[in-house]
Amino acid sequence: MNYQTLKILKYVGIAVAVIGLLFILLSPLIGESISAGTLWYIEPIAYVGAGVFILGALIAFGIMQYVASRPNVVPDDRTWSQVTQDYFDTFAHDMGRPLRRILGKQREARALLNETGEVTQHMVGELLDEIENQAPNFRLMIENVRVLVDLEDESAALAVEPVDAAAIVRNVSDRYTPIARERGLELVWWCEPSEFGLVYGDGSALDHVITNLVDNATKFAEGHVEIRLTRSDDSFLVRVWDDGAGIADSHLAHVFDRGWTPELSARSEKQSSGLGLFIASSLSQRCGGELLVESQQSNGASGEHSTTFTLSLPLDNRPSAVK
Amino acid sequence: MTSKNIGGGQKILVVDDEHMSDLMRSVLRRLETDGFKPVVVAPEGPHVTGDDYETQTLFAMETERPSAVLLDVRFGEYDSDRFKGLSILKKIAERDSAMPVLMFTQYTQGPYRDTAVSASLSVSASVDFIDKLASPEEVVLRLRRLIGSAPETIKIGSLFELDPENAAVYAVNDGRRDLIREIQGMKLEILNELASAMYRSEGELVPFSRLERFSEGEDSRASLRVRIRELKVSLGKAVSREFGANELIINVRNRGYRLVNPTD
Repeated sequence: MNYQTLKILKYVGIAVAVIGLLFILLSPLIGESISAGTLWYIEPIAYVGAGVFILGALIAFGIMQYVASRPNVVPDDRTWSQVTQDYFDTFAHDMGRPLRRILGKQREARALLNETGEVTQHMVGELLDEIENQAPNFRLMIENVRVLVDLEDESAALAVEPVDAAAIVRNVSDRYTPIARERGLELVWWCEPSEFGLVYGDGSALDHVITNLVDNATKFAEGHVEIRLTRSDDSFLVRVWDDGAGIADSHLAHVFDRGWTPELSARSEKQSSGLGLFIASSLSQRCGGELLVESQQSNGASGEHSTTFTLSLPLDNRPSAVK
Repeated sequence: MTSKNIGGGQKILVVDDEHMSDLMRSVLRRLETDGFKPVVVAPEGPHVTGDDYETQTLFAMETERPSAVLLDVRFGEYDSDRFKGLSILKKIAERDSAMPVLMFTQYTQGPYRDTAVSASLSVSASVDFIDKLASPEEVVLRLRRLIGSAPETIKIGSLFELDPENAAVYAVNDGRRDLIREIQGMKLEILNELASAMYRSEGELVPFSRLERFSEGEDSRASLRVRIRELKVSLGKAVSREFGANELIINVRNRGYRLVNPTD
């Protein structure tokens, strides 16, 4: 069912409810009274009116619930300038955080220098580490903006080439290992089978999707991040797991939404998902695959919590390949 | 794993017109500390163009016989030199198709990389691309993998050295190498498996599926656990230490094992 039909149905439901309400209100005028003179004096037409009202209200409410549970049903009718404005807001928001962290350290050091005439070695070390560790954030953001622009061109062809998927996962892991260490996390990866072999796909897109997932995982994890690469007969899977607090079911449906949503960012500054997951999801669809998310919050009996993103892509994405 | 041992004195030809920049200097310094010998191509003259770099690079290939080339995609301010690196790459590959080339680019991905890839696909050189903003550690790691030579010895922190070729593991005490005789056969193979993974990539885990062949009986994980514990004890004894559950060889959340460098 498309969004237009749903929208019409919703208005029909509301209209039916309004008619029911009118019946109730007008019942003294249009109906005949029964049990006149007793406590139960009422117009029979009012019963019909109540029934019609409940029916209409249920239809309208049901459709609103359905639409709310499936954000993808709602078409994006923003204009191009609104879209770019939204991108820019998200980008500015994502950019602000690393910049604030670096500037914070720098100003602290500067203040100390002005006061005492020297900076402790410890402080200099911290500042340098902060800059180095924020660098991948900036790199990723520059890339994300470029990919966003690329994604707008739906006719663009994929650069399908033989790709060593294990090498790509290894590269991403190597890039994030120092950052994970800095945050006190253990980042591990492995592939099964160990001799993973080649896949046919867009290597830079694969690198980019995994980078966004790992970047996200290292932001939310409490102690561990895992990247696992496996394959089946016709596809391969990259699973990125973290032991962070998890995502509430109501938020889960919105994880891949375009851009930063106010309710997401309101949870805490750290939790802003930014553009990364939207890009990862769009890019994996472009590559003929999909990206799924599962999450467990610690309200269960075990008290365990984690989030898993699973990327699945075809082993052979050449146009000539038999699907 | 900073060690002279990694590079083994191999020459790396560095072709980049920005080799004097701070960013490149940090890469050169890192190459040197890791035991590589960077050879910088720096044509002289008032107006150096991409062509000068090309000529000098090919000349240095002959005279220096490098083990790998670090090459920038873009040269100079001229538009014609925008992809000069790719034409140099082609020339290198024509002369020596087995030469590993790590290409520096500010556009690792996207149209620039695609141009780079399609341009290089016609040649059979082993080429990899790396973002110019990558850390020097990352550059060395990629370069090492691209060259692909197995190390003579794998250092495990400063305490142990593994020599896969001669199937021997040594304990290092005050600079002296003592052969650990107790570690042989399967135990040595397990250690080799773990050490090679660590050498390839710090975060690489060896999954149980890979280690199954070293176990026996119905409860294969339990038998593997016993082997690993014995291995840990043997290693510990050689350096008069006891390694805890979160030291040296760790079981990662029941997925597999990984080796971590011991603290001194």
